[in-house]
Amino acid sequence: MKAAVFIAGDHLITPLGLGSAANFGRILAGDVAIQPIEDTDLSDHRIHAARIDENVWLDNIHHPQRYTRLEQLIILALQAMIDAYRIPVDHSTLVVLSTTKGNITLLHRSQTAIPAERVFLPVMADALQHYFGFENRFITLSNACISGSLAISVARQLLQHNDKYQQAIVIGGDEISRFIVSGFDAFQALADEPCRPFDRDRKGLNLGEAIAAVYLSKTPTIGAINIMGIGSYNDANHISGPSRTGEGLYRSIREAMRQAGDPALDFISAHGTATAYNDEMEAIALQRCGLTAVPVHSLKGYYGHTLGASGLLETVLGIQSLKHDQLIPSMGYAQQGTNHALNIITPENQGTERNTTLGTFLKTASGFGGCNIATVFQKI
Amino acid sequence: MDKHRHSIQSYCLIRDRTITVNGQRYLDVEPTAALLDFLKTAYRQLDIDYPKFHKMDGLSKAIFIAVELIARESGPYNDDTALVFSNYSSSYLADSRHAMDIFNGTHPMASPATFVYTLPNIAMGEISIRHQLHSENVFFIFDSYLPEFLVPYGTAMLDDGKTSGILSGWTEVTDTRCDVFLYHIGKTGGMPHTIEHLKRLYQG
Repeated sequence: MKAAVFIAGDHLITPLGLGSAANFGRILAGDVAIQPIEDTDLSDHRIHAARIDENVWLDNIHHPQRYTRLEQLIILALQAMIDAYRIPVDHSTLVVLSTTKGNITLLHRSQTAIPAERVFLPVMADALQHYFGFENRFITLSNACISGSLAISVARQLLQHNDKYQQAIVIGGDEISRFIVSGFDAFQALADEPCRPFDRDRKGLNLGEAIAAVYLSKTPTIGAINIMGIGSYNDANHISGPSRTGEGLYRSIREAMRQAGDPALDFISAHGTATAYNDEMEAIALQRCGLTAVPVHSLKGYYGHTLGASGLLETVLGIQSLKHDQLIPSMGYAQQGTNHALNIITPENQGTERNTTLGTFLKTASGFGGCNIATVFQKI
Repeated sequence: MDKHRHSIQSYCLIRDRTITVNGQRYLDVEPTAALLDFLKTAYRQLDIDYPKFHKMDGLSKAIFIAVELIARESGPYNDDTALVFSNYSSSYLADSRHAMDIFNGTHPMASPATFVYTLPNIAMGEISIRHQLHSENVFFIFDSYLPEFLVPYGTAMLDDGKTSGILSGWTEVTDTRCDVFLYHIGKTGGMPHTIEHLKRLYQG
């Protein structure tokens, strides 16, 4: 039997604020980070997106001019984690970094103080490592929109199989750039309004920014969350469209649930990008798994799609939900928008369906390249 | 450290403009050939009909060819064969092409066909489709080929029963450099899945 691995702490930097509890409070109050943005650096037309106003937070970094905006945000989050949980920066701590595009803005913006090589992720990771003096080099992965959840899986496996590591920080982040906006625009995937996951009238996704981190430990501390099971399977179907049968996600959920011992789920935190095909695919996979009655939300209606951070961001907020025994409504949903009806959490129904205690949830994610992942988390 | 429970069943090395499979020369073109011409020659020599190949970016094409050649030695792959790849420059080839598209002075225009390849794991999606692999994929970004990480990582996946086999290795493809070293790890085969042995094979 492999050693259990727990989530013993977390941190968020989002447009809605600093810290997990603060973000949980904001979204329960119905606050939405997605706004109309007119910025010719990002796009020639107005977009709806959720962008971090870094001017509020970028104060406490040594030599900030040596770091890109994304690096500074990641440094802030790492520093907050190290301080809050007294995490040693010695050989016993592993850092896993999740990002889809990292410093891609360096490809097209002249930041004279920053060496152009920092567009390469290993160079960026080394800069972050050296800022803190971590003994171990960062483990960096880039696996499309499942990167954040996959990074938890990778860190768990490394902790379980390596006595050298006692704990890990898993951190994910991406920023909105013209590079990314133009690409999603070309796919006609962006909604010209705040997105509406799983809703009948959904028009596509919004891009968002977040830095999200979890602290993994082999020691079960008070209030820790057990990672009960993880499944990750490719659709083997299409590189830019989800499977019509939800095959990879179906297999991922089945495996995660099998490892977890098929627990009753109190809620599901879906990927829910609010594109027509993604949400339909997820509903099919959940129907095949017999999970359509479980309360489900997507948090994309608050934060947009935060790419390499999204799996981590939504996991951290799911954990807040467990800790406060309170379900988070799925922002932007009004009417059934998938062929199989789902039990979408809304402000109206969450009162009646609210458990006295929440113990277990499933987090799913899917991405370009046909990748999928499902993870079961449980209070201990 | 040289005790091993798993074996390298076969491997492919694409270095500069030369391809070898299990140490045997498969293709060798003049070192000055353009990357995409070289990969097209390799594709033609495979003698298969797979039109999707022509839509792929250079990274996916090189990986596709290596995985095709390995399949001829130790395939067909089991449906659960996991993919654990790594490189230095992620999807830089496609990234720079997309950047050219959108910052082109006169007619900036993003192309979905280019943009989709601006993620390194797309190549893993391509070979999952080709070989019908419903499996775990992870794409690491490292400074250099790192068997010190990949060997224990792959061993742990196999020991945990996550998969019966793995395609793993290093896939660095840029305009100036082609350095692809992929291998098929499984239960049988004469070559040990160890750091030392893989370092020797990677030397070529």
